Amino acid sequence: MNKHILDAMSAYYDANPIESSIVSQPATIAFDNVSRRNFLKVAGIASSGLVMGVSLPSFAGTANKGSAAAEFNPNAFIHLSENGDTLIYCGRCEMGQGISTALPAAVADEMEADWSKVSIEQADGNEAKFGSQATGGSASIRKMFEPMRKAGAAAKEMLILAAAKVWQVNASDCYAENHFVINKQNQQKLSYGELATLAANIEVPIDPKLKSKSQYRYIGKALDRHDQGKVVVGKRVYGVDTKLPGMKYAAIVHCPVLGGKLKSVDNSQALKMSGVIDVVEISPIKHPFSSIGAVAVVADNSWTAQQAVKQLKIEWDLGANAVYNTQEYKAQLVKNVETEAQLVTARGDIKKAFSNAATTLSATYTGGHLSHAPMEPNASVVWVQKDSCEVWASTQSPADIQKVLAQYLKRKPEDINVHVMMAGGAFGRKFKCDYVHEAAVISEKINAPVQLTWTREEDMRTGFYHSINAQHIQASMDEQGKVTGWLHRAAFPSINTLFDASVSRPSKNNFSEIDEHPFGIKNYRSESGESPAHTRIGWYRAVYAIFYGFAMGTFADELADKAQQDTVKFLHSIYDANTNAEQQQNTKRSKAVLDLAAKGAGWGKKLPKGEGIGIAVHYSFRSYVAMAVHVKVDGDNIKVLNVDCAIDCGQVLNTDGATAQMEGAVVMGMSLALATEITFRDGAVVNSNFHDYPVMRLKDMPKVTVHIVDSDEKPTGLGEPGVSPFAPALSNAVYAASGKRYRDLPFKPLKV
Amino acid sequence: MSKTINVNGIEYPIDVDEQMPLLWFLRDKLEFTGTKFGCGNGLCGACTVHVDGQATRSCITPVSTLANKNITTIEGLSEHGEHPLQKAWLENNVPQCGYCQAGQIMNAASLLATNSSPTDDEIVSAMQGNICRCGTYQRIKKAIRVAADELAKEV
Ligand code: FES
Ligand code: FES
Repeated sequence: MNKHILDAMSAYYDANPIESSIVSQPATIAFDNVSRRNFLKVAGIASSGLVMGVSLPSFAGTANKGSAAAEFNPNAFIHLSENGDTLIYCGRCEMGQGISTALPAAVADEMEADWSKVSIEQADGNEAKFGSQATGGSASIRKMFEPMRKAGAAAKEMLILAAAKVWQVNASDCYAENHFVINKQNQQKLSYGELATLAANIEVPIDPKLKSKSQYRYIGKALDRHDQGKVVVGKRVYGVDTKLPGMKYAAIVHCPVLGGKLKSVDNSQALKMSGVIDVVEISPIKHPFSSIGAVAVVADNSWTAQQAVKQLKIEWDLGANAVYNTQEYKAQLVKNVETEAQLVTARGDIKKAFSNAATTLSATYTGGHLSHAPMEPNASVVWVQKDSCEVWASTQSPADIQKVLAQYLKRKPEDINVHVMMAGGAFGRKFKCDYVHEAAVISEKINAPVQLTWTREEDMRTGFYHSINAQHIQASMDEQGKVTGWLHRAAFPSINTLFDASVSRPSKNNFSEIDEHPFGIKNYRSESGESPAHTRIGWYRAVYAIFYGFAMGTFADELADKAQQDTVKFLHSIYDANTNAEQQQNTKRSKAVLDLAAKGAGWGKKLPKGEGIGIAVHYSFRSYVAMAVHVKVDGDNIKVLNVDCAIDCGQVLNTDGATAQMEGAVVMGMSLALATEITFRDGAVVNSNFHDYPVMRLKDMPKVTVHIVDSDEKPTGLGEPGVSPFAPALSNAVYAASGKRYRDLPFKPLKV
Repeated sequence: MSKTINVNGIEYPIDVDEQMPLLWFLRDKLEFTGTKFGCGNGLCGACTVHVDGQATRSCITPVSTLANKNITTIEGLSEHGEHPLQKAWLENNVPQCGYCQAGQIMNAASLLATNSSPTDDEIVSAMQGNICRCGTYQRIKKAIRVAADELAKEV
């Protein structure tokens, strides 16, 4: 999670009764030798073997501080059975990004486990046990890599000690390899399964020795997604697939305008339909991630419920946001950034820089709202009973479900049992589980397990949208084309508005990505333009990096053009001008991915008429990504031929997973650069389905080549950082090919 | 006698509302959940199954129009996941979230059944109705190519 989002959330949580779930804990580590007998009792696992957990200091149970046992809670289990089977739990949520393969592979690598003997299970929602499970901000690998490795390394050391005991030799005379411990002196072998129970009685090493890079067997290699075999036979079970005996099906319609209220509902036609069981009104739930208010129909199948929703005659009192029209709003944002706005940060003397300039250049960049539109619409199953509440949900944040439902049902969070299901895509949307809360309301009312599935139309019209935005940049250059001054104004309804409706412009934190951008510019000023929210704003894969990356990357190309310099050279010189000691690493790595992408694309080569290559680099979520995009332009027709993508995310975990994330980022980048935009008219979303929200299809797929920097730096995430460099690189490519400059995302909006 | 429908080799009575789309009959009535709901309007391909071998969008096909027809879902495409496409999908690590993939595979399987050596352009146009929001298109194209070439060898 970005710092500014964290800040906004914690501010909200501080001021509100439900406690925070998203504040992440420092990843210091201690090991807890879970008493095997206790664990077995608790978990009900009927076999013996070695069970161990990584521990992160507890942040939930501060009330228990003082007792050593309560201070550390095991958070990720390895369970090694006597037959050698190894079960590893993944605490973070899986939505296609591959975390449930990457992290367990790091455990297995350090443990010297045989990957074919490892199975992986998704952990239920339980932060006391698994640490923070909130999955966002491309943070899972960055935070969990080392603790997971240490867990594996500790297990390995215990297995070696156990074998040494058996053979009555020193541990240094033994080594582990592929699920065996081997006696160096006589090459005798004991399998991990044979050693499991013995190892469980050995004290857990506090500081197990980690492997060096050259010893990795799985880390940094190409691994198959652990459960892809289930996908191709239709057996991977998603949130939407849960079935329970006696389960009822619900469909829903929400108030089309944020802040509106239900005036009246005539449900007589709906109730007459065969198969319809009930109509449930859902009042807004006061929580930033929860329901804005809706009416649901319950039936004995989803389709009947959907048909019955169409028979409801509902009158809404639309409220103040009915004035929201995105076309006008965007025009207003442009005005707000093209005139002086509120100062955020100032360095040096921008006035002087502008008045002494040899040349100046300015440009305004804009972009529309976006809907995440994962292929699996919002769906979950909830069963509220008198003394239990059980949830099966595709989610990025099980703890938030627990907290909101605990508050709503007046129970304890730990009494809300959340089964984290495989998500059919999420992209930030399933961090906010309004759809789960609604299912709980319905289940409580009808006293049965309920599966609520939103239609695609509801999913598109009741979102947490990526911000509509405008930026204006003005820069000065000297005779040599060196950038001397940079004024950056931005206006967009920020995510902070979710937590505090009075927020009317981006905060200083929202500006950190540009205020701390590693371009070396002496005289700098940023200003925040007025931009109140009229809908719910949420983080969408890559969040603000989408538009910041677009403006920075496109404007850099425009400046290079103005200075009559090659863009790659120009970017080098603007990074080289950075004298901030703390950012040297940042500029160096930015330049390296830039050069790698340029080389991959054959930057500077001669191209046929109508073709061009554009390049852009962006640092976000602590990873570096550059893209060189090769296009063919014919009139208004833009055909993307090739994309060379270079990444530096430190030590990469799964090269195939990393490559897949970049291919996906190109597709998402291309959708938002060329075509997708959510339009509001009179406060309501106009788009409804994939015909008027035209996400990219197979025909437009370019050839994507991913180049990975071989790095020893600490690993950082890749779920999001690939999205931002695509749009600026595309804008630059189209300009190179045709001389036409696109500054508004998407380039070719549909008229809806 | 009520009408029946054959799903993956087994006969089932059609005992629901005539208008209910096959998708919901499969998912909610028979509880075959491999076939997915993505859009409900024939726009995304997530719900693709075979009706007498032909790729069909189950979300817009009323079950009552399918009496006596043979339906194949992803669960019934092959006995042990050994269809050339399923194998090629795994070799090329196609799935990300995987939600769209049943529809992708069923659509591709119908293409290969009628045209075992499609050109790249034929693959592209046959797959145009199937959305993958995770962006696995490059691998989908490659996997279909691999499977088609494999089939060509067998003939
Ligand atoms: S769900 Fe049938 S085509 Fe989308
Ligand atoms: S793999 Fe996620 S939608 Fe295709």
